[in-house]
Amino acid sequence: MKITYNWLKDFVAIKIPPRELADKLTMAGLEVVSLEGKAGDFVLEIEVTSNRPDWLSVYGIAREVAAITGSKLRAYSVERRAYSKNLSAIRYPLHANNSRLFSIQIENKKDCPLYTARIIRGVKAGPSPEWLRKRLELVGCRSVNNIVDITNYVLFELGEPLHTFDLDRLVRKFASSQVLPFKIIVKRAKNGEEIVTIDGIKRVLNEKILVIASEVGEHVNTRTCEHANTPIAIAGIMGGRDTEVTEGTKNILLEAAVFNPIVVRRGRQALGLQSESSYRFERGIDLGIVEKASSRARELIEEIAGGEEAAFEINGVSKLKPKNITLETENVNNLLGENIPPVKIKTILSSLGFKVKAKVKNSFSIGVPSFRQDVNLGVDLIEEIARSYGYEKIPQSIPKVSPSVTIRERRDLVSNIKNMLVSLGLNEAITYSLMDSKILNDFNASSLSAIGLMNPLSQEQEVLRTTLLPGLIRAIAYNLNQKQDYVALFEAANVFLKEGNAPCEELKLGIALSGTKTILLNEGAVKDELGLLNLKGIIEALFGRLGIKDYVFVNSLQGSQAAVYINKEKVGLMSMLSSALLDKCGIKNKDVFTLEVSLEKILSYAALDKKYAPAPKYPGITRDISFILKTENSVKEMLSELREKGRPLLCSLKIVDYYKGKQIPAGYRGLTLSCLYGSSERTLTEEEVQPIHNLICSMLTGEFGAKMR
Amino acid sequence: MDINAILAQIDTEISNVNSPESLEHFRLKYLGRKGLLTQLTSTISGIAKEERPVFGQQVNSLKNKLLSLIEEKQKAISVSSKQQKLEPWDIGMPGIAQELGRLHPLTQVTDEICSIFKRMGFSVVEGPEIETEYNNFTGLNIPLEHPSREAFDTFYLKDYPKMLLRSHTSPVQIRVMQSRKPPLAVVVPGRVYRPDAVDASHSFMFHQVEGFMVDEGIKFSDLKGILEVFAKTIFGKNIKMRFRPHFFPFTEPSAEVDISCIICKGKGCSVCGRKGWLEILGSGMIHPNVFKHVNIDFKKYTGFAFGMGVERIAMLKYGINDIRLFYENDLRFLKQF
Repeated sequence: MKITYNWLKDFVAIKIPPRELADKLTMAGLEVVSLEGKAGDFVLEIEVTSNRPDWLSVYGIAREVAAITGSKLRAYSVERRAYSKNLSAIRYPLHANNSRLFSIQIENKKDCPLYTARIIRGVKAGPSPEWLRKRLELVGCRSVNNIVDITNYVLFELGEPLHTFDLDRLVRKFASSQVLPFKIIVKRAKNGEEIVTIDGIKRVLNEKILVIASEVGEHVNTRTCEHANTPIAIAGIMGGRDTEVTEGTKNILLEAAVFNPIVVRRGRQALGLQSESSYRFERGIDLGIVEKASSRARELIEEIAGGEEAAFEINGVSKLKPKNITLETENVNNLLGENIPPVKIKTILSSLGFKVKAKVKNSFSIGVPSFRQDVNLGVDLIEEIARSYGYEKIPQSIPKVSPSVTIRERRDLVSNIKNMLVSLGLNEAITYSLMDSKILNDFNASSLSAIGLMNPLSQEQEVLRTTLLPGLIRAIAYNLNQKQDYVALFEAANVFLKEGNAPCEELKLGIALSGTKTILLNEGAVKDELGLLNLKGIIEALFGRLGIKDYVFVNSLQGSQAAVYINKEKVGLMSMLSSALLDKCGIKNKDVFTLEVSLEKILSYAALDKKYAPAPKYPGITRDISFILKTENSVKEMLSELREKGRPLLCSLKIVDYYKGKQIPAGYRGLTLSCLYGSSERTLTEEEVQPIHNLICSMLTGEFGAKMR
Repeated sequence: MDINAILAQIDTEISNVNSPESLEHFRLKYLGRKGLLTQLTSTISGIAKEERPVFGQQVNSLKNKLLSLIEEKQKAISVSSKQQKLEPWDIGMPGIAQELGRLHPLTQVTDEICSIFKRMGFSVVEGPEIETEYNNFTGLNIPLEHPSREAFDTFYLKDYPKMLLRSHTSPVQIRVMQSRKPPLAVVVPGRVYRPDAVDASHSFMFHQVEGFMVDEGIKFSDLKGILEVFAKTIFGKNIKMRFRPHFFPFTEPSAEVDISCIICKGKGCSVCGRKGWLEILGSGMIHPNVFKHVNIDFKKYTGFAFGMGVERIAMLKYGINDIRLFYENDLRFLKQF
C-alpha cells in the first residue's frame, strides 16, 4: 500500500526525515519496500501483512508512527450532527405521510453486519481540486470526479471503502421530488443475474455473490424505478455503471457498510475482480469507523462539491463486545528471553491503542480496541510488545538440544547412492514433477494411473509424473542440442500414482545416458559407444556397495530392454529408447539408454551390515582361456554351469576380455575367461589343477560349442 | 696405495657414478685386469710371510665390497635408464582419471543447510509431497477462507478431495509433533509446489528447508541464537543479521530474517533492491493454536520454527540470477558446482 509522508503528518507530528521513518516502520513490521520523493511529498510503499487491515489506511499507519516515534496521535474527530433535529426538518416537505425517505433492508446480517447510507442533495459533481487529485495520484489512485475522489480519499485515509450512487439514476424521479419512498436491499444475487460494473464489463452473478439492490416504496411500481430489485452494485467489490456518479450528478446516496470477509472473498474469486474495496473487506473492516468515515466523506463533499444532507439511515450493529486479555509480565519475558519492565510493557501497549489496567502485581488486563480483531491471545500481545521494544534488543541464546537417537535415515542412504553415481561419472538432474499427460502415453505409461491437478497452470503441468524418464530425456535432448557428446544424468525423486483409494508416492531413481564417451588412457583416447551394459555396470556397482546379491537381469523385446529383479521381485527396467520415441523427443542420430528403479524397493533389500571374511591363506593358480563363441549362446548360463562343475577348486570365473573384429568369424565373438583355482587348506600344485581345468576346457568346446584360439 | 686409502675413496667415488659408462669406468679402475686390486695383489710378494693371510683377507673383503657396490649401482642405474628410454615426459599433458559427476547445486545446498543443523543436534525428517489440506493449512492455524492463505496458493488434486501438493514443508511439523513427544529438534528438507507462473524468480516447484525445536523454556532469544549460527556458517562470519517483525499464521511472534547484502556488503545494489539487506528466511515462535492441534501442552512447552527457500539461498551463494537454470539441467551449469 502507498501512503505519503505529508498525509501522515495530518495526524501525527513527525520529527524524523522520511528515510529514517521508513527504516523504523520496516523494523516495526511495516516493511517499506520503496521510498520516493515526488511532487513535494514522499511516497512510501508499504507491504502490509494480511493480519493487519488496520494498517491499510493513513490513519492506521499514523497510529503506528505515533507509537514508534513517541509522538501523539491526533484524534480523528468529525463533527457529529444531531440528526434527530436537523433531518426531521428535512424530511417533512418531502413526505406528506411523514414516513422516512428510504429504508435499508438486510437479507442476512451475517453477510452484512452493518449498512449505513446518507442522501446528499444538490451536489455539483465535477473535477476535483488540485490537492485532492494530487494526493490520490501519489498513492496510485486515478482521479475520476470530486465525489468519487472523496470516497476514495476516505478509503485511503481511514480504511473504510465507501460507494456513492447517482440517486437520480437509482430512483428516476428523485430530482423532481415526486419520489416514492425507496428501499436499499442487501441480498444474494440470483443465479444468472447480470450487472455491468463501473469498468464497463458485463458480469454474470450467482447466489454466492452479495449485491446491493433497490426497490421503490411499499407499492412497488417498476415503472418508476429503473432498477427494480435488480443489482445496482456488487457489495464490497464494485459499483454498477448504471448508477455511477458522473459529471453533472446532483443527488447522491453515500454507502458505508461492512460486508462479510468470506462472502466478499468468494465473490471476488468467482468474478476474478479485485478492487481496493474488496481487498479491505476481505481482511476485515472495523465496525467502529463506518459512521466516522461516512461523516468524513459528507463533510468533504459539502465542502468541495456543495450540497446538503437530506437523510441518514443505519441498519445493523456498530459495536462488538469488548475483548479483554490477561497478560502476565513473566510470560512475556519467558517467551522472549529478555527482561522488559512492566512499566515499559504498559507504555508500549497503551501507545498502540490498547487499554491497559493493572490487576495485581505484574499482571495486566488488556482491553483490545475494535480495530485490532487480529489480537486474541497473550502471544499476540507479546508480539506487539516485542516488535515495539525492538527485535534487535532481544539477546541471543543457544538452547540446550537434547540429542535424539535416530535410526539410519533413508535420506542418508539415498545420499550415499547419489554419491556413488557421481563417482561413476553421472551428473544429478532435478526435473519438474508435473507433466503433460499425453507424454505419458509416449512412454507406454498409462495416463489413467496419473494423478491430475484440479487447477493446473497449463496443460504441460496437468498431472503428477508417474515416471522420472520424460524429464530426464528432455534434459538429455537439451544437452545434446548444446552439442554435448556425452550426457549421463540421474535423478532421485518421487513419482506419484493412483493406488486404490489413496494417492501413492514412491521414491525412484532414474538414469539416462546418451552419446559417445571418450575415455583418455595412457595409450590415447578410446571412444566408447554406450549401451545397456553401461547401465548394468552402474546397477552392479550400486548393488555391490549396498550388499544386494540375489539379483538378475532378464532380457526382453529383442534385447532392447532388461528388467532388474532382486529376490524375484521386479525393481526396475532398463531400456534402449525406440527411434519413434527419440523422434518425439527431438533427438536425432543418438541412442538413449534409460534405467528406472524403485529406490524404496532397493533400499528394502540393502544389507548394510558387513561381515569380514579372511583373504585366502594360500596363493591360487590363474589360467586364462581364449576362445570364440556363437553370438546366440548365452554367457550367463555358460558361466553358471562352469562354476557349478568347477567346484570346489574353481574359486572364481570371470570374463576379462571380449572382442569382435576381422579375426573373429561372423556370428561369433571372442572371449577370454580367467579361472582362479585355489584351496583354503594348502597351496595347489599344477597336477591338482590340471584335471579340473581340462574339464572346464572340454565343457567349453563340447557343451557350449566354443572353439579355442 | 694401501688398502685403507682405497677404502676411503671408493664410497665418495661410487656416489658420483650415475651412468652405465661411469660405472664401467669405476669397475675397470678397481677390478680391471690392470686395476688397483690387481696391483694391490701383486704387492703381496713384498709382505712378510706371517702377515700375508691378514692381507689376503683384507683384499678379499675389499673386492667383495667393490662387487656389491657395483651391483647396487647397477640396479639403481638400470631403473633410471628405463625411464630415460620413454618418450620425453610432459606434465602439461592432461591427467588421466575417471571423470566425476556432480551433485545438483540444490542438493549440495540442501545438504549443507541440513548438516549445519545436524551438527547442532537436529535430526533430519522428510514428509510426503502429497498432503492433506489439514496438515498444510488448518493444523498450521491457516484458516481456509482467509487472506493469509493468499500467500500459499496451492495445487489441489483431482479425484482426491482435500488433498493437495504441499505448498511448504511446514506440514511435516504437524506430522512430527503428532507422532513424537518433545523435546524435538528437527529439520525438514523437501520439494514444494505453488501455482506461480515461471519466470526468472518464480517457479511452480521449488525446495525448502524447514526447522523447528520444541521443549520446555524455548525462547525467542534461542531462535535468534540458532539462526545466527546458521547464517554465519553458510554465508560467512562477517555478515550482519536482522530480525524484522512479520506475520505468519503459524508463529507468534513472527520474524523475517535478513542478512546484510553479500554482494554490496550492505551499501545497496540491484541484488538487494538498494536496501542493503537480503531476506533469507521466515521464522517465529510456534503459535499456541498449532500446539493445540497436535495435543502438545502449550502451557508447558514452547518452540520456534523457521523455513527457507533452498533456491534463494543457492542463488545468493553462487550468484545465480535465474531460478529456471536449476531445472534446465544444462551440463555447462551443473558441472560448475
